[in-house]
Amino acid sequence: MLREWKTEWMKLRRRKAGLLILAFLGFTFVWCAWVVSDADLQDLADGYRWILSNLSIINTILLPTMLAMLASRLCDMEIKGNTLKLICTMEEKGRLFDMKVLTGGVYLVFYVGAELLLLVLGGTLMGFGDPIESKHILYFLLQNIPVSLVIYLLQVMLSFRFENQIIPLAAGLFGSFIGLFSWFFPDSSLFRWIFVWGHYSLLHFIGNTWDEATRIVTYYDVGPNWAALGLVTALLVSGYLACRYLFIRKEV
Amino acid sequence: MEYIVETKGLSKSYKGKQVVRDVDLKVPKGCVYGFMGPNGAGKSTTLKMLLGLIRADSGEAVIAGNRMNRKNRLQILRCTGSLIESPSYYGHLTGRENLEIVRSLKQAPEKEVDQVLKLVRMERQQNKRAREYSLGMKQRLGLAAALIGRPELLILDEPTNGLDPSGIQEIRELICELPKRMGITVLVSSHLLSEMDQMADYVGIINHGQLIFQDKLDALHEHSKNKLLLRVMNRTTALKVLENRGVESRATEEGILIPGLPDDHAAALAAELAAGGAGLYRMEERQKSLEDIFLSLTGRRASL
Repeated sequence: MLREWKTEWMKLRRRKAGLLILAFLGFTFVWCAWVVSDADLQDLADGYRWILSNLSIINTILLPTMLAMLASRLCDMEIKGNTLKLICTMEEKGRLFDMKVLTGGVYLVFYVGAELLLLVLGGTLMGFGDPIESKHILYFLLQNIPVSLVIYLLQVMLSFRFENQIIPLAAGLFGSFIGLFSWFFPDSSLFRWIFVWGHYSLLHFIGNTWDEATRIVTYYDVGPNWAALGLVTALLVSGYLACRYLFIRKEV
Repeated sequence: MEYIVETKGLSKSYKGKQVVRDVDLKVPKGCVYGFMGPNGAGKSTTLKMLLGLIRADSGEAVIAGNRMNRKNRLQILRCTGSLIESPSYYGHLTGRENLEIVRSLKQAPEKEVDQVLKLVRMERQQNKRAREYSLGMKQRLGLAAALIGRPELLILDEPTNGLDPSGIQEIRELICELPKRMGITVLVSSHLLSEMDQMADYVGIINHGQLIFQDKLDALHEHSKNKLLLRVMNRTTALKVLENRGVESRATEEGILIPGLPDDHAAALAAELAAGGAGLYRMEERQKSLEDIFLSLTGRRASL
């Protein structure tokens, strides 16, 4: 296992997958900084809820595209170089698939972790009112990691299926659009449930009220949507098993 | 005889069309085994089944004395190296880095990378990115990768495809050297008869998914029963004489072809033709070319 894991990272030399992650992280940071630059005292007092609320939407837009690009970086080298027929004589196909998922998972966890770290650092520098709550960190992880992993699995399959990587990348952009669109629907809407990209909005854990008279937005905690989390977990497990099975069955 | 590869009833079909049918390969240890057949005959499918890259519908493969199954496949393949169809490489990595990946997966010693680079004469280009290599270099890189781990068996599928004449010669020489220099058995497929004639000790011919011939290359040549070409002044008379003697004959543009005869019979026939007024002025021995044998076995013309 360790041997295959090490080999996977050897393959990633010069693929600039880390740079891709940093670029998206930088873009997210700039976007959040732009949001904060417009903040008043009221916003800063409940800064973490305010930023987490915005960050959820930003991630819904950016993560599907980033994941499509990441999966493409990790998988298309095997397609372009016809390497599967060589690698699969030395490594189990299922193990190779696991390594692709694991590597992408590591990048994803790093990305979400770095977002949280930047959030805490930014919050401290900007003097947000209350410290970030641990349940917010947990909910943020639960909102972003499982959904992103399901999307990543889908992108891995597409990247292995199509030699032309425009198709998986288009799927990523389509996902970003669907995800953004899902925010305009209520939780009860089927639109949020049937598209996996809409699950970011389903798992959103901060609500808000808008007072038209005072023009003040008040943020409050919403309990996690356990049914949605259950659905995402089921999708993740079944998606992983189905994608792995299909990958193993594919003849090279 | 000890066989490094033995298959029994290996079969595969796609969408109801049988592409490999009951193939019983027997590859003796320490030789170059040429696996021949026209394009689409089932060579690559058979080789991929040997490597477990595609699943056989039925039959079994025994490699180096071990019956291969899903569980022990990688363990058995550890003693093999392969190059199937086009070369496999990571274009963004250098030649050396590509070989390091194979070495890591095969758990071979580090020094082997240098050894195989030297063997395929790629020391100077090892730090160049693989995507910048010419096709010949990529093929050599593929061969170097196949040689890592000191395999007992090398499976090469059309390794000279797309190479220029000097590249073809270089790869051929390398393949021929391997059994003698390193004790490696080479199972190499090709649709080029001339190539096999220069490389192989044993040959197997597959056509329409069926193995139609398997033996030493010399035995294949023996299939080419000699013929005699008679050049005569008077064809009609000559054909009559031959008919009277009960000799099977065929008139061609060049002359009259008859089956090969022992020297004394040939002398008697020559005397009879002369006496009968056929005007025999030349009697030539003709040998069937490998191309002719292949054609008679497969019914299809192969490349030369």
